Amino acid sequence: MDIGEIQRMVEDGGIVFLSYGGFLSQALISAMTEALEKEAEYSDISMNASNNIFTVFIELSQNIMNYSKSEQVNDKSLKSQGLIVVSKSERGNYYIHSQNIISLQDKNNIELKLIEIQSLDKDGIKKRYRELRKSGQNTHSKGGGIGFYEIAKRCDSIEYEFKQINEDKFYFHLKTTITIDR
Amino acid sequence: MENLKLEATKYTPEISLDASGTVSLTGKSYPENTFEFYAPMMAWLEEYFAGNAVEKTTINMEIIYFNSSSSKLFFDFFDLLEDNQEDHKIEINWIFDKENESAQEAGEDFIEDFEALNINLVAK
Repeated sequence: MDIGEIQRMVEDGGIVFLSYGGFLSQALISAMTEALEKEAEYSDISMNASNNIFTVFIELSQNIMNYSKSEQVNDKSLKSQGLIVVSKSERGNYYIHSQNIISLQDKNNIELKLIEIQSLDKDGIKKRYRELRKSGQNTHSKGGGIGFYEIAKRCDSIEYEFKQINEDKFYFHLKTTITIDR
Repeated sequence: MENLKLEATKYTPEISLDASGTVSLTGKSYPENTFEFYAPMMAWLEEYFAGNAVEKTTINMEIIYFNSSSSKLFFDFFDLLEDNQEDHKIEINWIFDKENESAQEAGEDFIEDFEALNINLVAK
């Protein structure tokens, strides 16, 4: 893991109040979601914004968990390197970063979805989300294949980056911003 | 037909399937294997509508937040209800906190996607 990456996530996000690197399990995800619920309560964030934060966090961390459990990443030394960081700025906006290692094939699939998402406005994303949910064309054993559209519906901006490790492996870093109206 | 009840966990809702005609889902929904988790509920409903249903069935859904695979599952759940709505009287209450706009919007989307179903938005 490139420590510089973590440093960068921490610096541009302001106050980090949750970060985890390593193997993600459902039990850990649910414990961290509980911690986020406490933070939301303590910071007096609206129910709607809180739910957006929880949902984006859950989607990203379950994504990492599913990728690390899949056969795609079969090199054990790369398997557990998921990273998730939640931070907030002085103004109270929330940032959720995730980073994990994915295969070339997954990179291509994810990139297509993200390019499409970046080309749409909020209404377009909502419309596409419902189309995909209805058609079931992205449905696989774990879900509807609409996770990135769910994230896009619930945050204000998405930035992402793929960084090549070797011919078949990439770091996938995604940053979402959730603006809090006060 | 036997009732089926599942207690809530930190990431799954309380599920109560009562053969006297009331189905309730209450809580959060972000299981690791969503389709697997809800398979017993879907199987119960299939059996219920295949000759065991009472005159009127009421569905109460109060889901605070959910992951995208649960969203897909709820779509399939409404699809199953729609398949049965011609032969059965089904009323659905989509219950949400009045401050939970995304839950309200989710309910509105289901109303649009399932025009044949009788879905009430219930703010509390």
